[in-house]
Amino acid sequence: MVMKKQRESQSHIVDRIIAIHGRSMEAVIPILQDIQKEFNYLPEEALRHVCSHTDITPSAITGVSTFYSHFRSGKAGEHIIRVCTGTACHVKGALNVYDALCRELKLAKGEVTDPQGKFTLEKVSCLGCCTLAPVVKIDDITYGHLKTDKVGEMLHDFLTRQYGLKKQRNHRKKSVETTLGEIRIGLGSCCIASVSEAVKAELEKTLWENQIHVDVKQVGCVGICHQVPVLEVVKPGGQVAFYAKVKPEEVREVVLNHFRPEGFFSRLRMGFSGMIGNLLEEGIPRSFQRYDQEQRETPLQQFLEPQLAIATEDRGVMIPCDLEDFQHFGGFRQLKYCLDQLTPQQVIDEISLSGLRGRGGAGFPTGRKWQLVKDQASSGKYVICNGDEGDPGAFMDRMLLESYPLRIIEGMLIAAYATGANHGIFYIRAEYPLAVRRVKEAIHLCREKGIIGPSILGSAFSFEIEIFEGAGAFICGEETALIASVEGRRGHPSLRPPYPAFKGLHQKPTLVNNTETLSLISWIIRHGAKTFAVIGTPRSKGTKVFALAGKVRFGGLIEVPMGITIRQIVEDIGGGTIGHKFKAVQIGGPSGGCVPASHAGLPIDFEELITAGSMMGSGGLIVLDESDCMVDIAHYFLSFTQQQSCGKCTFCRVGTRRMLDLLEKFRHGSAREEDLHQLERLAASVKQGSLCGLGKTAPNPVLSALRYFRKEFEAHIQGHCPAGKCQPLITYHINETCIGCTICARQCPASAIENTPYEMHHIDVEKCIKCDICRQCCPVDAITVR
Amino acid sequence: MITLTIDHIVVQVPEGVTVMQAAGSIGTEIPSMCYLPGHFNHPSCMVCMVRDAQSGKFFPSCAMPVSEGMQVITHSPEIREMRRESLELLLSDHAGDCEAPCRLSCPAFMNIPLMNRLIASSDFEQALQVVQEEIALPLLLGYICPAPCEKACRRKPLQGSVSICLLKRTTATVTKSREKIAEALIRPSGKKVAVIGTGPAGLAAAFYLLRAGHQCVLFDKNDQAGGSLRYDIPESRLPREILDAEIRVIQQMGAVFEMNRTITGEAFEDLVKEFDAVILASGERSQQPSGFPAINTHTMGTSRPGIFGCGAIVRPTGMAVRSAAQGRVAALETDIYLKSGKHKKSGITFHSVITHLFESELQEYLKESIPGPRTEPQSGFLAGFSAEEAVREAKRCLRCDCRKSSGCKLRILSDEYQANRKRFTGPERKRLTKSMQHDLVVYEPQKCIRCGLCIEIAGKEKQALGLTFVGHGFEVEIGVPFNQTIKEALILTALECATSCPTGALAVKELTIDN
Repeated sequence: MVMKKQRESQSHIVDRIIAIHGRSMEAVIPILQDIQKEFNYLPEEALRHVCSHTDITPSAITGVSTFYSHFRSGKAGEHIIRVCTGTACHVKGALNVYDALCRELKLAKGEVTDPQGKFTLEKVSCLGCCTLAPVVKIDDITYGHLKTDKVGEMLHDFLTRQYGLKKQRNHRKKSVETTLGEIRIGLGSCCIASVSEAVKAELEKTLWENQIHVDVKQVGCVGICHQVPVLEVVKPGGQVAFYAKVKPEEVREVVLNHFRPEGFFSRLRMGFSGMIGNLLEEGIPRSFQRYDQEQRETPLQQFLEPQLAIATEDRGVMIPCDLEDFQHFGGFRQLKYCLDQLTPQQVIDEISLSGLRGRGGAGFPTGRKWQLVKDQASSGKYVICNGDEGDPGAFMDRMLLESYPLRIIEGMLIAAYATGANHGIFYIRAEYPLAVRRVKEAIHLCREKGIIGPSILGSAFSFEIEIFEGAGAFICGEETALIASVEGRRGHPSLRPPYPAFKGLHQKPTLVNNTETLSLISWIIRHGAKTFAVIGTPRSKGTKVFALAGKVRFGGLIEVPMGITIRQIVEDIGGGTIGHKFKAVQIGGPSGGCVPASHAGLPIDFEELITAGSMMGSGGLIVLDESDCMVDIAHYFLSFTQQQSCGKCTFCRVGTRRMLDLLEKFRHGSAREEDLHQLERLAASVKQGSLCGLGKTAPNPVLSALRYFRKEFEAHIQGHCPAGKCQPLITYHINETCIGCTICARQCPASAIENTPYEMHHIDVEKCIKCDICRQCCPVDAITVR
Repeated sequence: MITLTIDHIVVQVPEGVTVMQAAGSIGTEIPSMCYLPGHFNHPSCMVCMVRDAQSGKFFPSCAMPVSEGMQVITHSPEIREMRRESLELLLSDHAGDCEAPCRLSCPAFMNIPLMNRLIASSDFEQALQVVQEEIALPLLLGYICPAPCEKACRRKPLQGSVSICLLKRTTATVTKSREKIAEALIRPSGKKVAVIGTGPAGLAAAFYLLRAGHQCVLFDKNDQAGGSLRYDIPESRLPREILDAEIRVIQQMGAVFEMNRTITGEAFEDLVKEFDAVILASGERSQQPSGFPAINTHTMGTSRPGIFGCGAIVRPTGMAVRSAAQGRVAALETDIYLKSGKHKKSGITFHSVITHLFESELQEYLKESIPGPRTEPQSGFLAGFSAEEAVREAKRCLRCDCRKSSGCKLRILSDEYQANRKRFTGPERKRLTKSMQHDLVVYEPQKCIRCGLCIEIAGKEKQALGLTFVGHGFEVEIGVPFNQTIKEALILTALECATSCPTGALAVKELTIDN
């Protein structure tokens, strides 16, 4: 009886979902997404129901639901734990965290859900919070800077929050009389992940309790992700104070340092505690750091100084989904200018003249792409904003979509006007829920104001925009695969030609532009092509946004002029490495390659990077130090592309796997000299023989590692991992610095360390599982890895 | 019209045509596995790679539309290497035996599994024909062959190998009209061949020469034919009436036996003059006159045209079946020499091989067989199997040869491009499975190259569930929606899928003589 009732309600739910998305083949991905949102997985009954009530065939629904990694066919636990295995997380020990979670949840080999059905453990390619690495996300809560020995605490914290969380009151008063100033709080994903929501709640509570009338402005990503959460206090007269790494309990103090309470009673109360606050400020160290903007030579200044904000213009100031605010900063003025003053061809000429090249990786001239689409005679044309940023170690698109959705919409509208398109699609990764929400909201606002829809801003130009959420397939960043996905098919790329500009979505001319490309458009129109073209190198103009992460002191989202050197990025902006020596940067993620420290003078330029064996890619920039093993890095990237291969063509499907098998031999010390040649030859064939860009560039990380760090590969043949990273080749030992504190012995999950207080400890190499916990928890660095 | 060059030849084709089609229009064939006209699953296998002469880039010709001024190269050492590599990659992920191990270990390469299947369906006449394709002396060898095939038999761990050698003998004993079958094949060629020696090599050579229509005279120094079979093998192992019966078959086919003739160096030269060709099959070299030329062990030919050799004269073989196999090869080579002088392309030598079967795989293979121990002949070894016993024993065969052993594109191209199946190997071989639920087709997923052709063909049929890709990347498989069976997936399109499948992954279940 109960069962029957459940099934009835299930089919009811599915009917509702079908009613929203329609019955066509194309609705399959949105339908599956909603079903999964509802049930946490895809129940077979629900899928059968979809097939019998829509045009979607069993074959299609199975093919699609098993293609995209976002979809789960088996029942999942109550909560989903996602361990980010992006590059930054990888180099900071994500796999050890994953293993620790397996132990903590007592998962049997091959199992992903704990026996109680509470948690399901998953690896995800990149959550885009690289500066907080290693990162774990449980449902909607993100935990950053996670240590292997802290996973138990994290689960405990999650469960307490889960069941103890009370709905927080919104303290903010709507009507504000005179304001004393403005407090800006960053609310990008990184900020939110690092408890800025709690900071914000505390901030509003403090303001309300003390009757302080200050504007609280939720701005997009500030870019200084290594310092989040950040608070910026602006007082009339331009005085700006910047607080980084603020904890909720410190908010009160920050606020009261700048503003006086207004009510009589509260002023009285505050007078008292303010005194305490002043006293506290004297000697006690605090966790947050305060920087004044006027103060030179601070890391903040160094971080910001070499940057140039075009795509990220007005960062930290602009409110993401506030049309008025956006217009205040000049938003949609360029669109209006184009519609009123320029012909489509003039717009294209301007973009061509600026020298702008696609920021998705390959660097195809944007103006030429627009021209191709414009030159097609067709009743319908599409513009797609490619926000399917899947590179592990890249989060530019996420930040841009979260922080400047209106700017990107403006870019898209200008592109649509120039090419004669009438329909736009934002293709955004499902892993970026905040980006989806912001863009959705922005579209809604624009539609209300007549900026999207028929006769835009009173012109003859009409344009509709919708959002398509990706479902976890890196390959869908490739434009033909992206189109297949929008059409409700498996994300298989197809051979180009025909290019999407000729035959794209629904066989219509389609312009696919990267998010960052579109976010540069309005600036170019406003300042003129020539102003843009002045920036950069002869062949690479303007700026490039990078996600700077890895072994660098100050990571974050940076926008730099083309032509800046790698050394400037790593040392000036990033503040160099910590502890170990700077070894290389990995640029371009799985399509790119490593550039060694010895080549750090290399300028950022599409062609220069390719010559150096790397690639601009979409802009992940991971700094590696001497403790990183290049065989491991090559293996890491290849295993990523290998997992993300669609499986269509032989060279990519089997070739990358065989390359990975070879790299696996290196990591295990079982490779021989001929394996090195085999690897090189196979890499060359995969590069030449693969069907699409994913396969053609997949060997790059391996080839560049071989080019600059061949000695490390040779060392692995001798059974030695110089960086001490490849697990099968290393052992853990305790040296004389050991003070016999027993922390490691108590933490060791394998009981490989005997608990002998005040005596030097010893690791039983046989029992050791190389989880790295002892090294992380040792207070005196007494653990040696050999 | 679009003008382009293919291998420097100017070609004009309509717009929208692919490079492969354009090449086809001038008779240039480009290999492919996944491509089938009218379908859109390709490109996947990447064997149809060609090269753009201007950019040096490779591209799959099956999907690339022609464009004005294109310069395509379809054959070059680099292209050959790319194609070979794609085949080698596919082979590294392809698990299966092209041929059954019994056949591979048979010196005569006899089609044992096919013989077994024919016996299992009580078709002994056809079975004998299959045997005689490679074995001229099935009755005789049915007594003395050491049967390396049975040592390799996959059935061995499951209550003993199939009794192959005895089954082979049974095809000769149960069949009444053996000579008639042999005679019916003879079409006179007008050529005359001398065979020196009447041991297993000489007799086998005579059998195949006669079958090819050549007149055949056998010379032997002894007074009775049989060579080592008569003079070295004890009668307890090979009853002489069996040997005589085998020789009688060859006599009845028209062979002339000249006994008590020792061929000296001089007499040999006379034979060379008198006959159109001579085959040396006179036993160990040390006992031969010095005038005999050296023999090439591969082609059985010598430095002198028209003179061939086989058996122990080449090198002691230790096994009558090996000598007989060489006799066959020498006869076939002689035939080619006499008819055209030209060599035709020799058969496929590429074999996909899995060495060891895992326990789970044995159970999969048993699906096509019957349980039970090896059949022992009721009337003893010398009497051999009755027809009923033979049928039962033949049914024990696991059918471990590939159903597409002769039609598989992966095999044909691997042979053509000399692919090395071991060049890329994964850490672990896939476990073989056989899906037998469907009445018409058998599905062996581990042989699949993921071209998706069957998915598209099955998609045409609206009544059935159809097929789909499941998963992605290296792990992608062809599956049935909602984990149902292939029987529910394919109703009307099963046979079309099986015949279109480029490998043995989907194959027609039913047994046919030409496989």
